[in-house]
Amino acid sequence: MLTLFKARSVITMNPSMPRASAVLVRDGMILEVGEPENMAPWMQDEEVVVNDQFAHSIICPGFIDPHLHPSMAAVLLPMEFVTAMRWKLPWGETEPVTDPQSFDLRLAQLHQSKPAGEPLFIWGYHQLWHGPMNKARIQSISEDRPTVVWHRSFHELYMTDAAMRMAGIDPAQIKPGMQIDIENGHFFEVGLGFAINRLNPWILAPEQYAAGLQRLKQVVHHGGHTSIGDLATGLFNFDAEAQALAEQLEGDDVPFRTRLVVHGTRLTQGGRKPQEGPDMAAALLSRNSHRLTFGRHIKLFSDGAFFSQLAQLQEPGYIDGHHGEWLAAPEELERHIRAYWQAGYQIHVHVTGDLGLELTLDILQKMQDEKPRFNHGFTFEHFGFSTPEQIRRIKALGAQVSANVYYLHELSDSYAKAGIGFERASQMARLGSCFAAGINTTIHSDFTMAPAEPLNSMWVAVNRQNHVGDVMAPAEKLTQQQALEAITINAAHTIGLADITGSIRAGKRADFTVLAEDPLTCDPMTLKDIDIQATVFEGRVFPVS
Amino acid sequence: MNNDPRPVTLIGGYLGAGKTTLINRMLADPELPRGTAVLVNDFGDINIDEALIRSQSDDGMVLGLSNGCICCSISDDLSKALDQLAELPIDQVILETSGVAEPARVWQHCHYPGFSPKASVVLVDAENTTQRLQDKYVGSLVKAQLDQAHLLVLSKTDVNPGFTLDRLQPVINSDDPSLLATIFGWQQPTAAELGVSAGTSSKASFGAHTWHQNDVLSLTTLRTFLHDLDIRVHRVKGWVATDDGLYQVSGVGSAFALDAVTDLSKPSNLGLVFIYCSDTDSHSGGFAPDQITMTLSP
Repeated sequence: MLTLFKARSVITMNPSMPRASAVLVRDGMILEVGEPENMAPWMQDEEVVVNDQFAHSIICPGFIDPHLHPSMAAVLLPMEFVTAMRWKLPWGETEPVTDPQSFDLRLAQLHQSKPAGEPLFIWGYHQLWHGPMNKARIQSISEDRPTVVWHRSFHELYMTDAAMRMAGIDPAQIKPGMQIDIENGHFFEVGLGFAINRLNPWILAPEQYAAGLQRLKQVVHHGGHTSIGDLATGLFNFDAEAQALAEQLEGDDVPFRTRLVVHGTRLTQGGRKPQEGPDMAAALLSRNSHRLTFGRHIKLFSDGAFFSQLAQLQEPGYIDGHHGEWLAAPEELERHIRAYWQAGYQIHVHVTGDLGLELTLDILQKMQDEKPRFNHGFTFEHFGFSTPEQIRRIKALGAQVSANVYYLHELSDSYAKAGIGFERASQMARLGSCFAAGINTTIHSDFTMAPAEPLNSMWVAVNRQNHVGDVMAPAEKLTQQQALEAITINAAHTIGLADITGSIRAGKRADFTVLAEDPLTCDPMTLKDIDIQATVFEGRVFPVS
Repeated sequence: MNNDPRPVTLIGGYLGAGKTTLINRMLADPELPRGTAVLVNDFGDINIDEALIRSQSDDGMVLGLSNGCICCSISDDLSKALDQLAELPIDQVILETSGVAEPARVWQHCHYPGFSPKASVVLVDAENTTQRLQDKYVGSLVKAQLDQAHLLVLSKTDVNPGFTLDRLQPVINSDDPSLLATIFGWQQPTAAELGVSAGTSSKASFGAHTWHQNDVLSLTTLRTFLHDLDIRVHRVKGWVATDDGLYQVSGVGSAFALDAVTDLSKPSNLGLVFIYCSDTDSHSGGFAPDQITMTLSP
């Protein structure tokens, strides 16, 4: 049986035929895209069902987020989001909460909506908007309920006496100097580790984790994705994660596929040499199922977290003189890269600062000198700070870029004022230059670092507007065409799925995202609010709105 | 099991500086205080040595760690390991940091319920340190590691015997026979202020005192001072400006050497560093390190 999907317009992302009006599908595969009158030869001897539910809509290639973390999301998503920024979640959009009174009001609403005694976990507090936080403030609202208020950065939390009792935290154990302010119920950095170890029975409970992955499944679907990349499988515990993913993200009701990219240094942790890594990673291919697939990809890490200002910067560095950090010694990163480069892998390296990028470029140059490779797909992941000179090197070495463009929206204002100064802060996510240089460039959410909404990422890349409304480095704006390439075909190339998805052409899987408006011709400021009506995964319709 | 915080001694230094070799020596040493838990960093090639460490450790306890950020791994390995150790009858912890860790950050981490940091020992590799300090990627990190050390251990001096560190910091060579006793007994005053004991089974307490030179001394005064040095001072090292020119001072026990500095490179800091030992069970009650140098500073 054939299905003929008709649309107001089909955006194919195939440059040879950018637009069409219909797609003909059999068994989840595209037979032909174009005009229905040309498709008659396919339809002569087969039953054809015309699906015109999208006749007034725009069909795009299914969106792809090439870098997010289902396991982290599974921990966070069961919590209640009270955030200064908008988060569109399937079970309800969280309206921005931007002042202390609104924060307390929202907390009170959540408190009243829960059965007595059930712990309440809030995520998204930030002092800039929500004012100073402390135990007494929370207890004035939910005194008897174990309540935990987590900072947006994930690096600190506040909890009530009831929560401490629940977690078995004895205030008498806490001494000065421990990064725990027990009077205010405040646990930060090291103190946070102490708190989390005691909250783990609640936040990592198997049923909670499974529920979190179910929520992730909804988030991914509602964002309009039909493919995602898990860019560090094995972040916590490889076997437990792989099993939970297989249980929750495989099956006929899952409207997307996941490319699993294993965490390289965790893979060989515990006494193995980097050179053993490629064979160990190759052995994972035997676990592949229809939707969950490892490829010959590996994830490695260079410098520290962007949100914590631990990215390694070239001169003149941070204004306050602090330094970022290396997640591995440069020599170790080089050894791991060499092992996978020699074995022909596609290597994805987490780089946040321009010094981290410089180091990784130097290593890539060395690899090219030792063993030249073409079409190797070496990818710089996150790509916070860079220089124009580095763009040329990325191009010359044949590498590609997967950027968290949302940094620009949420952090460029504060990093300009307290961090690195306006010039460099405004030029984070230097994506226009990447496109101009002809580098394969994609954008990602790193969810939960940014909302898993490709249209939102596209909106940031096209408008470069930060959260206070300033346009940062307009010369680096992407066109709507470029930004849509970034979340479809370019993303597919980055995670090794371009042969099956990322564009709409004969022979690919029938993966579509169906929109109410045309993302290439709409007012660019409306991009993030375009209604996602449905996704189609391998020919099957999964309604969204 | 007492309720005092258990002291944690950090063993830091850049990749290849000899941290694992040192830890292997500690584990094999009969003087290793009973009830010592050793946390080793589990990253890259160090893994191979971890296997070695495990095989050598009969009654010590060794746990592997790996790098982790709280926001990327939900709970970092160090907190988990400390929580595990907190349940066990141990008296002190030796913690090998990652080669890219800044000791001050790990120090902060060891202010953890049930634990308290005691000393940061940092290995300095005579072979590669000069070059690493110039490196555009790790130069500032290696400098921070040296700056944040309470005790520096100079390794691989056989490969580069002429290597000296132009720093007024307590230094001991890795081939020094009293190396392990010095590390086991090292006591930072800041930790003492927090009420941490040096570990019940450690016999002696080691510490350091630094004298910064402000005024030129006569060479005679310097010689007399070194002759009459308190016997509890095990080591003295530094550079002193005298009326007879600049001298490098280097002493172990009662023997000391005074060498005129003739080359053009002047040390950036003038003064002396003393490593002293105060026996906890004998006559040393009331030993005040700053008395050592009272005669030098008018």
